Amino acid sequence: MPLLNKWIQTIKISWSNLLAYRLNFLLLILGPAFVFFFIKYNLWYSIYQGNTSVIIGGYTLDQMIHYQFFTLITALIAQSSNAMNLSSDIRLGRISVFLIYPFNFWQYHCAHFLAFQSLQMAVGLFSILAFLGFGLINQLTVLDCFYGFSFCTLVGILWFSIQYLIGLMAFWLEETWILRVSFLTIANFMSGAIIPLEMYPKWLSNILWYTPFPYLTFVPVKIFQGQFNGLLSAYLILIIWTIIFSTLSLIIWKKGLRLYTGAGM
Amino acid sequence: MIQSIKHYISVYHGFLQTSLSEATSFRLNFFLFIIMDIIFYFSSIMSVSIIYQHIDHIGVWNFQEFLFFLSFSLLIDQIHMAFIAENFWYFSDDIRLGNLDFFIIKPIATIFSVFFRHIRPASIINIFFAAVYFIYCAKQVGLSNLMIFLSPIFILLGLTLMVSLEILLSCSMFYMVESMGINFLRMQFQNISRWPDFVYGYISQKVFTFAVPILLISNAPIKFMLNNNDYTPMIFLLIFTLITWGLIKYFWNQGLKAYESVSS
Repeated sequence: MPLLNKWIQTIKISWSNLLAYRLNFLLLILGPAFVFFFIKYNLWYSIYQGNTSVIIGGYTLDQMIHYQFFTLITALIAQSSNAMNLSSDIRLGRISVFLIYPFNFWQYHCAHFLAFQSLQMAVGLFSILAFLGFGLINQLTVLDCFYGFSFCTLVGILWFSIQYLIGLMAFWLEETWILRVSFLTIANFMSGAIIPLEMYPKWLSNILWYTPFPYLTFVPVKIFQGQFNGLLSAYLILIIWTIIFSTLSLIIWKKGLRLYTGAGM
Repeated sequence: MIQSIKHYISVYHGFLQTSLSEATSFRLNFFLFIIMDIIFYFSSIMSVSIIYQHIDHIGVWNFQEFLFFLSFSLLIDQIHMAFIAENFWYFSDDIRLGNLDFFIIKPIATIFSVFFRHIRPASIINIFFAAVYFIYCAKQVGLSNLMIFLSPIFILLGLTLMVSLEILLSCSMFYMVESMGINFLRMQFQNISRWPDFVYGYISQKVFTFAVPILLISNAPIKFMLNNNDYTPMIFLLIFTLITWGLIKYFWNQGLKAYESVSS
């Protein structure tokens, strides 16, 4: 029970921190996702030249815009957390306190992630309702919405695991944002966030299915659209990837801690 | 005047040396910077290539013309990354932590020491690759040798407008406690500017050409290079650069007055 209380208190503190500067939250978390969507919307509209009967890569304009709306929702729910604080904690020697606290480093950052994830889900839900209200998305059933949300929650956990692993690289690197930006660039390209994977060359899309990238955007979008077969295996694969990255994080943490000198102590 | 320029060059030389010694102290970071930029180029070029496997034109441009535009944007971006970008992140911290005091008391223009202090040597190396790719794309679209020879001027003009707009936006950091979001907004503007203007709808196009003229950064020089008879976008680019500097002069001074200096 005392442990649960620590989790709850840390989540509450994280909410306060995240919402203390609301404009900052808006620009940092929501801004990039909406601008990315704005660019893609305009790009695809321009590619189709507004012609709703043209089919490109198996998609009509309406289907493509619909696809892009769901990439936005997926990004809002699952892909905004980063490990900026985590790496600075290591680099500046702040993890020393976590080594003696009764609430360890992973627990603290995990609680922070849960606070963040809950806000993301609220933003995602609000966006879906707004898009439905304005008629921008249609044919969304309650069941698909439920599956989509639950899958995106798992994607959020995988995203956090990857970000956590990248953050732990601060034991060896002066700056970890280089890895974060590289990962984000690769993820945007390989997950189908810009172009649906059906439009990729066959050889490339075949390779991509052996990586976690399609599960970050393409699969959740298709689940929201009710067009994905093999839901159970998708959940399973996502869980396996999460376990792999979490295990890697544990190994890196143990190795990194041996190197840690406690700067400033 | 000449004495003053010499002074600034010597100061910049000092900045360069400090940045170089700092960068070579963290060699793994140095190489990761290079890899990060290459990943970015690769994904941008591949995305456009995949789209063009399904269509012949986007707007009025074919694949080669689009790549030419992209290579120009990437080159500007690379130079920006090498010489300017890092300073905006430091500026946000300097205001919050009160480190700006040390810049204000220096006997050089504060704006110079704030926005030109940090240089990223790893990105300088990648400018070479971006430049080679730009020349290759220019040849593919049949650009004349004269235009290729003059292209550094166009790159410089585009870069000047980009940096000017970013400095103007950064003036808002003086009034904020946490200004990380402004840096993210700055990056979003960069993202919008990396696409041709005809991609955007009528209203967005007008807004990002005349209200927040980020679309002029690459579009104006490219349009002029592809069609030398159309001077209008370049004139707009020059006018908006001058207007932006007028605004910077005003808002920078206002910002300095509002600066509370937390450490003193």
